[in-house]
Amino acid sequence: MDTAHIRNFSIIAHIDHGKTTLSDRLLHRTGTISDRDMQEQLLDSMDLERERGITIKAHPVTMRYVARNGETFELNLIDTPGHVDFAYEVSRSLSACEGALLIVDAAQGVEAQTVANVHLAMKHDLAIIPVINKIDLPHANVPQTKQQLEEILAIPADMAILASAKEGIGIDEILEAIVARIPAPKPTGVAGLQASCFDSFFDTYKGVVTHVRIFNGELRPGMAVKLLYSGKSFEVKEVGSFNPKPYARERLEVGETGYFTANIKSPKDVKMGDTVTDNRTPAPALPGFQEIHPMVFSGLYPINTADYEHLKASLAKLQLNDSAFVYQAESSVALGFGFRCGFLGLLHLEIVQERLRREYAMDIIATYPSVVYKVRLSDGELKEIDNPAFLPEVTFIAEIHEPMVKTFIICPNEYIGDMMALISEKRGNLDHTETLDARRVMLTALVPLNEILIDFHDRIKSLTRGYGSMDYEHAGYRASDMVKLDILVNGEPVDAFSCIVHRDKAEGRGRALAAKLKEVIPRQQFAIAIQAAIGGKIVARETVSAFRKDVTAKCYGGDISRKRKLLEKQKEGKKRMKSIGAVNIPQEAFIEVLKA
Amino acid sequence: MTAIDTGPVRHLYVHVPFCAHKCEYCAFYSEAAQGELVNRYVAALVRELELVAADLRPRTIYFGGGTPSLLNLRQWETILAALARLNVSGADEWTVECNPATVSPDKAQLLRAAGVNRVSMGVQSLDESLLDRLGRIHSREQVFRSFDILRRAGFANVNLDLMFAIPGQTMAVWQATLREALALGSEHLSSYEVIYEEDTPLFEQLRAGRCDVNEDLACAMFEELVATAEAAGFRQYEIANFARHHGLAGAEVPDRACRHNVNYWRGGSFYGLGPSATSYVRGVRTKNWANTPLYCEQLEKGRRAIESTEELPPLGRAGEIAAFGLRMNAGWPFAEFECVTGFDLRGEWAGDMAWLGRQGLGRIAADRFQLTPRGLRFADLAAERFLRP
Repeated sequence: MDTAHIRNFSIIAHIDHGKTTLSDRLLHRTGTISDRDMQEQLLDSMDLERERGITIKAHPVTMRYVARNGETFELNLIDTPGHVDFAYEVSRSLSACEGALLIVDAAQGVEAQTVANVHLAMKHDLAIIPVINKIDLPHANVPQTKQQLEEILAIPADMAILASAKEGIGIDEILEAIVARIPAPKPTGVAGLQASCFDSFFDTYKGVVTHVRIFNGELRPGMAVKLLYSGKSFEVKEVGSFNPKPYARERLEVGETGYFTANIKSPKDVKMGDTVTDNRTPAPALPGFQEIHPMVFSGLYPINTADYEHLKASLAKLQLNDSAFVYQAESSVALGFGFRCGFLGLLHLEIVQERLRREYAMDIIATYPSVVYKVRLSDGELKEIDNPAFLPEVTFIAEIHEPMVKTFIICPNEYIGDMMALISEKRGNLDHTETLDARRVMLTALVPLNEILIDFHDRIKSLTRGYGSMDYEHAGYRASDMVKLDILVNGEPVDAFSCIVHRDKAEGRGRALAAKLKEVIPRQQFAIAIQAAIGGKIVARETVSAFRKDVTAKCYGGDISRKRKLLEKQKEGKKRMKSIGAVNIPQEAFIEVLKA
Repeated sequence: MTAIDTGPVRHLYVHVPFCAHKCEYCAFYSEAAQGELVNRYVAALVRELELVAADLRPRTIYFGGGTPSLLNLRQWETILAALARLNVSGADEWTVECNPATVSPDKAQLLRAAGVNRVSMGVQSLDESLLDRLGRIHSREQVFRSFDILRRAGFANVNLDLMFAIPGQTMAVWQATLREALALGSEHLSSYEVIYEEDTPLFEQLRAGRCDVNEDLACAMFEELVATAEAAGFRQYEIANFARHHGLAGAEVPDRACRHNVNYWRGGSFYGLGPSATSYVRGVRTKNWANTPLYCEQLEKGRRAIESTEELPPLGRAGEIAAFGLRMNAGWPFAEFECVTGFDLRGEWAGDMAWLGRQGLGRIAADRFQLTPRGLRFADLAAERFLRP
């Protein structure tokens, strides 16, 4: 296909604004999929993606569209992960496009996530086609949505296409707009092949299947290619596109989107954003490459220490299709051998844990998540700390810097006060507020990442009765007065419960943690002291009182079997607990402390 | 199996599944007595006896329930005659459980004459309002009268069952009951804390919040029990069992200990007949149907009414025997344990014994392992550690 007839675009939208339904409509209208294959949420192939209504893996799909002028176009829809945790992936996907459909729900209006994603799309100079979706809903408010587009996003409202993906309204207009308004790919003009890797997955037979956008030259089987950042060279075995199932093609030409395989055994050899060039005459790298840096770390440990090898194998398999997920072996005094895992964000962490439990049937304990702190020591050395256990002694620390995020909160007017209180509770600074329309405002605030990790989003949802939405962008580091909070169980520090918190919050959090643990640690035949300590100073104490007996008195011949089974069950239950010294701590305790 | 367990089985339990009224705390299988079903049961029981008699030469017999004393004279005569005919009567220790409301001089004399030499009386409390609370059919007066009848019939070995930590029971009430019961001068005392078993009215009350458990008071009552019983000349030999002792000071268990029950805790074989009864014969545990008509039906067809069978692997069986034997104050003499199970306690369980020792719950002596007085309070924890898959 000549480049003039190729369009590469993605779709950006808030959750539930109809991205998936619209994608399916486009596939159907262009004849890419038949009625029979019109399965709900076609592009999100993981169960988890469907359940949560989010896209984790990006799939490019190639469609053939005969436009009203009679010419045939190749439309490549590059789906993007919808969540801010995957901002780098989003930016890689967007950089493979020349345009984007921006979907806004006519009833809900512009949401925080829409703002963040539009900012990203604008950074990549994409042509944006606003689509006001769900106009068929009785409470759709098109004029107001148009006003928001202009005022919040600075997008001319008369550009907007009115649509209902569910009812099939506006689909043709959207396809025509893609052809008319999105520019055709322009070759970069350098000699030879230049292609950008924007995603990959692992196939047992073919190895790593890399998704690429060709910016210059062409990619054919048999070519020797080099990946510029990883420095590895491979011989291309197969190239192709998706419809949405993969199919092999003779070549991928300039401007096109598809995949290639090259017997690549390790997903680590293909870095997102890397440039593929001809091995003999390497072209310069495409801009925008970054190493992916995990933002959130948590220790994952098998409940049963015997499952360590199983966990290790499961993590390796999981990483094959999730190159943003990193892990390395670590050990904890409390939990034994496990892995320090890095995630792009909290959602990413939850997804990985959930997949381990579901797909790999692993019983795991996850430690309190930590962000990456930059610690400057008294001798000038700079350390990055992602595990509270490795925070140096206070006396050696000159300064601690914590990561910040710029967060956008959109909520109905009446909740401004609650949101401002929440921002200040979370140690944030309100930057400015904007009125979106008669009933909603957007607050922009600078908040420490550490504070939004656990319950920020949930709190916004509950404070605003579900009407509020939130998103964020990373915003560098700031010096903060952080301290390490330790939890001691019968005098022994439980490293898995340690966390780094701001000094002003340490005592409150220590008290809350101790109280929570008192609830979840079962009584034993001795009293259990739970203490919270900051730098060796005890700030809170709770006691789980001893139970004085456990024996039920009566036990004769007919009772033995039943009694034995009961005891066996108890014993089995204790095996699923972690013993810290002589104290058994149930799995729930490790989960509950996340909520304390 | 080991030497101890070859030859005919030495212990017999007979379950009589009838009660005049079901008590609030009771989870044992029993039903209200209806004349015809009782007769049918008696016939079935005799049939079951016939099926196992060849493998039975009992040193101890125990009739429990339910309420064995609820059987009428004619029914007792039938059972006793069958025992005699099958040559399984004449045990050294032959116990029948009695409800104080159902002891008559005739019945007492009949049982005594047939060779019954021990009676276990379910007193539970001597406080009228608590007896009522528990749903017992007898009064405190009946306890004293029945005890008298038993003594006059010649029973020189009587056990009294008492309960503590009954909802509403104060320490003062418990002390009064203990004092009055001990004053009767029985040879044996069994005393249990109320157990809230599922499927009992008492459990429902607890769940509905109509009564609650005061652990500290229950512990204090247990301590009171141990102290008072010992002051009255009893020796504790199991968590809930006390007996008089007149023989040598170093004896494993007191003279008047219930041999029948000791056999359970020592992992010995026994036959259990009657609906819902459990047998444990040379390592194989079987349980009869807990349904009297169904039980009768099976035996009328000439086969035993076994609902389920359980046979643990050797180590599992040894673990179970270890676990339950530790309920006795004497603990497990290493030699005896090895003789019964074929395993050395100091091998497989060395770590568990050491752990319990460190916790102050167990004591490792030269010849045995036993729980400390504090350990006896945590016998379930100890048992749990000794179990093996």
